[in-house]
Amino acid sequence: MTIPFHRLLAVETRKLFDTRSAAILTAVLLCVTVAAVAGRGLYAGPDMRRLVWTAGIGYSTILPVLGILTVTNEWSHRTALTTFALEPRRWRVMAAKTIPPAVTAVAASLFAVLVAIPATALTSALRDLPADWNATPAAMAGWTATNTLFVMMGVALGALLLNGPAAIVVYLASTGVWNAVAMLGAAGETAAEWLDLNRTTAPLATGDWAHADLSRIAVSAALWIVIPLLLGVARVSRKEVK
Amino acid sequence: MIEFSHVSKTYKDVKALDDVSFTIEPGGVTGFVGPNGAGKSTALRILVGLCRATSGSATVLGVPYHELERPAHQVGTLLDAGALHPGRSGRETLTLGAVALGLPGPRVGEVLDLVGLTRKEARRAVGSYSLGMRQRLGIAHALLGGPRVLVLDEPANGLDPQGIRWMRTLLRDLADAGCAVLLSSHLLHEVEQVADHIVVIGRGRVLVQGTVAELDRGGGLEQTFLELTANADRSAR
Repeated sequence: MTIPFHRLLAVETRKLFDTRSAAILTAVLLCVTVAAVAGRGLYAGPDMRRLVWTAGIGYSTILPVLGILTVTNEWSHRTALTTFALEPRRWRVMAAKTIPPAVTAVAASLFAVLVAIPATALTSALRDLPADWNATPAAMAGWTATNTLFVMMGVALGALLLNGPAAIVVYLASTGVWNAVAMLGAAGETAAEWLDLNRTTAPLATGDWAHADLSRIAVSAALWIVIPLLLGVARVSRKEVK
Repeated sequence: MIEFSHVSKTYKDVKALDDVSFTIEPGGVTGFVGPNGAGKSTALRILVGLCRATSGSATVLGVPYHELERPAHQVGTLLDAGALHPGRSGRETLTLGAVALGLPGPRVGEVLDLVGLTRKEARRAVGSYSLGMRQRLGIAHALLGGPRVLVLDEPANGLDPQGIRWMRTLLRDLADAGCAVLLSSHLLHEVEQVADHIVVIGRGRVLVQGTVAELDRGGGLEQTFLELTANADRSAR
């Protein structure tokens, strides 16, 4: 009838990488990954899991920002006028926008693992230390899942606020806010344990599946991803595009 | 092909559109003329479903835009030449539209040729374009799907005299081929030489509509326009 979903997906994937700022962000992502993994290797030794996690420090900021901008760019540059004239059923565009950032998070995570393999081997040879190939598939899967959850949090906040700077501030401030909440006695501690996505996903990120409480992850993901995303899609669907 | 039927739009306490009704037939160019802030852009955005009318209805080819089958194939729109991502090349901007509409790759080159943008210009980021080049790119985007209806908001803004003449010829050719063209402008002289019909709007109301000959009340079209809109510009609010 109108535009098939796979074409919307192709368009939104292109949009993620076809601008000058997107090209710069991608280059930064790749360079930061290589630099972080190699640098950590020289400093901390051939501990593969640790090298991979080092890339995660950059990812926890860059990937969510990518997620935020993929949604908010339409409004800051007012390309929403064209986008929603091409596809008036706006929820379909929004659905297509959620997928490329998630795939990017998985690809970036995979890239970090691939960089960590030669970095570990090289460090082992250079420093004459035994290589520790401790990056189990389970640990890497948990870490990748965490990166994906945070990029989705970015997409959701971007959709809800439709304002890049505001969404970035909320995203960056959320960690600090939860740390403060956790200090407000037992009730605050409990709230943070269930609602702070950083806390609930911490065991997942380190590959400690035995201590990952899926119900807590689900509750915090509902609060920071599902609910804002649904509210954001509803907002975009009703919004007057100017 | 386009029908506005008693369309009103109220923002809080401001009436942006007040009972706007007019119809556009195929094979002609209709100029939608009025001072800045008269409600032209609001009307066009309601037509393509980007804004909602408070009351009344606007239809294209007999149905609301969002109910059209393949709307962007049938209706080409240029709503704001400034609403382009500055970091994206002109060619890439068009390619996104072509991918969305499922058009073959060479279509992008065809519309570039149609609007007179060179391949070299198309490779540049849109941020470096003049307003006239952005208008050409926007018109190219509107033409991608080979539409039967064209809706252009202030397309002559920023075009140089050659550009205005070029656009006049292009729109005339499209109308002669059976397209319905609706273009808005705040400058009468930009549209009077190309339009068959004129709809004059001021303060959200249709002040007068008719063929160019009908509206020329002896003193010329411009005189009619100025008399009608004298009390209808923004400052009179």
